Amino acid sequence: MSDPVTTPIPAARRGLSVPDLLVALGVLIIGALLLIGTLKIPFGINAYVGPRVFPMIVSVGTLALGALLLVATLRGYRAEPAAEEDSDPDAQPDLRQPGIILGGFLLGSLILVPLGFVVGTAVMYFSVGFAFGERRAPLLAGVALIVALVTYVAFTRGLGLSLPAGILKGVL
Amino acid sequence: MDAIQSLFAGFETALTPLNLLWALVGVTLGTLVGVLPGIGPALTVALLLPVTAKLPPVSAFIMFAGIYYGGMFGGSTTSILLNTPGESSSIITALEGNKMARRGRAAAALATAAIGSFVAGTIGTALLTFAAPAIADVAVQIPPSAKFALIMLAFVTISATFGGSPLRGLISLFLGLAIGLIGTDLQSGQARFTLGYPELLDGIDFVTVVIGLFAVGETLFVASRLRKDKASVIKLDGNARMNREDWRRSWKPWLRGTALGFPFGAIPAGGAEIPTFLSYTLEKKLSKHPEEFGKGAIEGVAGPEAANNASAAGVLVPLLTLGLPTSATAAILLAAFQQYGLQPGPLLFVTSPDLVWGLIASLYIGNVMLLALNLPLAPIWAKLLLIPRPFLYAGILVFSTVGVYSLNNSVFDLFLLAIFGLIGYGMRRFDFPVTPAIIGVILGPVSESQFRTAMQQSGGDMSVFVRQPLSAFILLIVLAALVVPQVLKSRAARQGAAS
Repeated sequence: MSDPVTTPIPAARRGLSVPDLLVALGVLIIGALLLIGTLKIPFGINAYVGPRVFPMIVSVGTLALGALLLVATLRGYRAEPAAEEDSDPDAQPDLRQPGIILGGFLLGSLILVPLGFVVGTAVMYFSVGFAFGERRAPLLAGVALIVALVTYVAFTRGLGLSLPAGILKGVL
Repeated sequence: MDAIQSLFAGFETALTPLNLLWALVGVTLGTLVGVLPGIGPALTVALLLPVTAKLPPVSAFIMFAGIYYGGMFGGSTTSILLNTPGESSSIITALEGNKMARRGRAAAALATAAIGSFVAGTIGTALLTFAAPAIADVAVQIPPSAKFALIMLAFVTISATFGGSPLRGLISLFLGLAIGLIGTDLQSGQARFTLGYPELLDGIDFVTVVIGLFAVGETLFVASRLRKDKASVIKLDGNARMNREDWRRSWKPWLRGTALGFPFGAIPAGGAEIPTFLSYTLEKKLSKHPEEFGKGAIEGVAGPEAANNASAAGVLVPLLTLGLPTSATAAILLAAFQQYGLQPGPLLFVTSPDLVWGLIASLYIGNVMLLALNLPLAPIWAKLLLIPRPFLYAGILVFSTVGVYSLNNSVFDLFLLAIFGLIGYGMRRFDFPVTPAIIGVILGPVSESQFRTAMQQSGGDMSVFVRQPLSAFILLIVLAALVVPQVLKSRAARQGAAS
């Protein structure tokens, strides 16, 4: 590490990053799980290349790449978060907001069939709007219902898709 | 002359009132969604797939043609007025165009981008018209082993050669390949990686992966580190227009950008990023006003924007003639073809000429429509940028849900969508590029089947990849594409350390 010739990345001097280490281990674990899954695939018959060959290549490749990433991380390499539109690269990441979105999305998915598409997607809409900082709840709920309703009508009537009606069955 | 005759037949297909309507719907939706911040052309096509689900294939692809070019046009509006590129190939437009807009020249920047895109798109489509059938004629004879080698080339160039970190690009690619393996193996009938879920036997639809990684992943990521201050959108009063001086300074960059963009799009070289950068550098060198570059030089918008659109036309050459996508958007188009039971490749020109030529003809039509839509309607598109972010991102999630749920009418797919959203979040947080994963999901199964066909034909003899001259040659390039950049990088680092 002390030899500057072998450390071309300046990031290498910033020490070990635990999240990056977890990612590298995660890639290795995925590779290992893929390998286990590959070994469960039965051999094909009457073929030069059976159903196992490609999964084997992919799982061994993933393991090898994970190992390389682990080595790079142990040498101090760390990833910089992507710079996206509307995001502030210097902001302190707040995991509660994506948590709200994910929770709202899963709840909306669960009630999508029993209560219907309109209610389900309105819940999703509301949770995203809330997570993005909109605090005028009645306004947000109203817009959520209108967007969900318009989407439902446009896709079922206009494009002939079938979406669950749920509690609005017979009304729409 | 064959190409011209076929093209006329294509126009006959595309110019029916109903298909013209679909083309118009396509360009309008494409521009509309493309303008929205956070949605690049690849996601635009994926989100709008359910809209085309009930159409006959020819109309669907006429609409895709409109969406494809419309998404590109929309993206440049966003970069000029908001300074936030939706995709890497718009970085330059954002750089120079936004500076122009800040100096009160937004109308001229939008006009040179729109007219330049039209010029480049039309010339690019004309080149496609003549190049594609000629290449398809030759491509019919390409053996499976060489097709496999070509896919390897696309894998390596897209994930490793031109990305920021080859290691991260390759990990992303392998993630995509692994996802592509899930489901029943069509040749042997064996289930692979289905974990006992019957829903996974048919594999995971690429739409779920694309929307999850792009739309949901992005929504989660932006929510975690939201910009508190409002993004400054530049006001635009009146149409997009240019004066005589602007025309004089724009037309040469348009043509030079087209000349750079088309060939780069047509070879697997990582899409439109490189030609836009090259065009920018070239214009800066040739300009009589180099001091204006970086402060809003019109040449710096005209050239790269033309290069971007010409490369979008170029990308269609390998897609239509070889079935080889060289960008994320092209990969999604390929998958859309497959959904209609069509396999893009040389045979498509023989088996579905009405579809291919209808598609090509509607590219010309779409370009004209886009020019007509974009110049006078620019102020309306600009208004879209003012949608408050909470309402915008919430709407994106609802459309994502419709797109994924309508695939199989199954809530299981929505849970998959959430999982891919989380993965997409992680990839942004830890700097993994998303495009290689998309390419892996869509091209992985194709590469496996080409590999198997090659082995079947050679009787299980691996040496076919070395003995077949074309395959060996392409695989050699693959190796070079993987190794050479690394050698150059480490040499540059060593020299940097020595000096």
